[in-house]
Amino acid sequence: MNLFEQVKEALYEVIDPELGINIVDLGLIYNIEVTEESDVVVNMTLTTPGCPLHDSIVGGVESAIYFIDGVNKVDVKLVWQPAWTPDHMSDKAKKMLMY
Amino acid sequence: MLTSPGLSKKTETNIKLPLSFILFGLGAFVLSQFIFFIHSDALTNGIFRLPELLMGAHFLLLGWIVMVIMGAMYQLVPVAFLTPIWSEKLGFIQLFITGFGIIIFSLLLGMNLNLAVYGAIFVIVGILLFLFQMLMTLRSQQQKNIMTLFVSTALVCFLITIVLGFILAWTIAFGATLNYTATLQSHILLGVAGWFTLLIFGFSYKMVPMFSLSHGFLMKWAKLAFIFYTLGLLGLILSFWFKLSILLPISWVILWFGFTFFALDIKEIIMKRMKRKLDRPFTFSLLAIGFGWIIHSLAAILSIFSINNQGLWSWLIFLYIICWIMFSILGYLYKIVPFLWWTYKYSSKVGKSNVPLLKDLINEKLGTVIFVLFTIGIIGLSISGLLNASYGVQLFQGLMLTTSILYGLSIVNVLRK
Repeated sequence: MNLFEQVKEALYEVIDPELGINIVDLGLIYNIEVTEESDVVVNMTLTTPGCPLHDSIVGGVESAIYFIDGVNKVDVKLVWQPAWTPDHMSDKAKKMLMY
Repeated sequence: MLTSPGLSKKTETNIKLPLSFILFGLGAFVLSQFIFFIHSDALTNGIFRLPELLMGAHFLLLGWIVMVIMGAMYQLVPVAFLTPIWSEKLGFIQLFITGFGIIIFSLLLGMNLNLAVYGAIFVIVGILLFLFQMLMTLRSQQQKNIMTLFVSTALVCFLITIVLGFILAWTIAFGATLNYTATLQSHILLGVAGWFTLLIFGFSYKMVPMFSLSHGFLMKWAKLAFIFYTLGLLGLILSFWFKLSILLPISWVILWFGFTFFALDIKEIIMKRMKRKLDRPFTFSLLAIGFGWIIHSLAAILSIFSINNQGLWSWLIFLYIICWIMFSILGYLYKIVPFLWWTYKYSSKVGKSNVPLLKDLINEKLGTVIFVLFTIGIIGLSISGLLNASYGVQLFQGLMLTTSILYGLSIVNVLRK
């Protein structure tokens, strides 16, 4: 498994504690870049600006990536454009919210 | 992609600050219910201005509701307005002065009314420090929105409420001449409807979509809700001071429209939610909006038909405070306290190890029982009160006291997880 795939898999372990759904299925991760120097840049969003879990989730993303062997630097960029919509969620996440 | 630098700074507050306010509030809540229980005869007869009931009412309104709201604001303002608290140190100083003042002031109201003004001084200093803190915090908010308008106006109402409250205490102590009745009516109106209601409106526009994961709602009634509600408040104050009786029913109807516009927005938010099954405590806060709407409707009807029975209006104010304001807070606190504790204990572990979900920290089943008991208690209390049935009032106030203790324990239990 290359570093990109390892990062993506690690992000599945970051769970939104309010919804109980991981941030990848919630569609919060917009883009992952891994440089030749093994630096990782993540562009992500939250379901709403002013989410009380802001610091916890962003910190959780950084921690989850730093946990992977071989990662050099991690840069998590929180972006608000394009704004998150429910369309970003996976079918699995949508199903979980139904019950 | 656009990154907003102002939106990515750290916004969490030291949890000891909001939590201290909330724990103080829980103690005051149980104490107020105990005072009402031992003076249930006065409750039965609708003698709400009895010194002992004034003491209970101020432990409830200042000790419980105001302190919990202050604590919740120390947590919510940074995250909802995306700006850190101006000075946490000032927050702790303010906590001490306000808490001390509320205890002294409420006790003096019940034991030596003439000296209450000295306790009021501490309360006022504490609240002024809080208002200064909020002013400095909100000033640095980058993008103002409708929520800013609701919260800022609520804070202005709060300032006027405490000034009027101080004038009342001063009048009792030194007998200054002024329109005592109009001052008292304005104090109650701006305290419960201006400060509490506008604040709940403002924060609900943020919290209801967040807790229901709602999307695509328009909030098209928000501005009208604000305009109508503030106009209604203004109309009532003018009618109190200038004896303009024609303004009374008109203002109550305008207030009803304001509340209805808010309720329509919340209905739309809930209809457009992604999270189908809502948390039960949160549902209780939504139920409080229904109670609030019914109480506003009753007030408008009573006013239109010029029904001025003082006992009936006293009960309506009591129900307004309990069923709308207090029930909203009881529900939201079941979300706020687990969040505070989770942030303190588990936030740094996200992404490193398995962490519990927020709902794992609170016993939702017990919460449901507690909320049902509160509802039974208040319905029983209202019916018994209106029928002047003293045993009924005592029984149901006893239920309110027991449930408030259970509620307090269930919140404290979160801090053990």
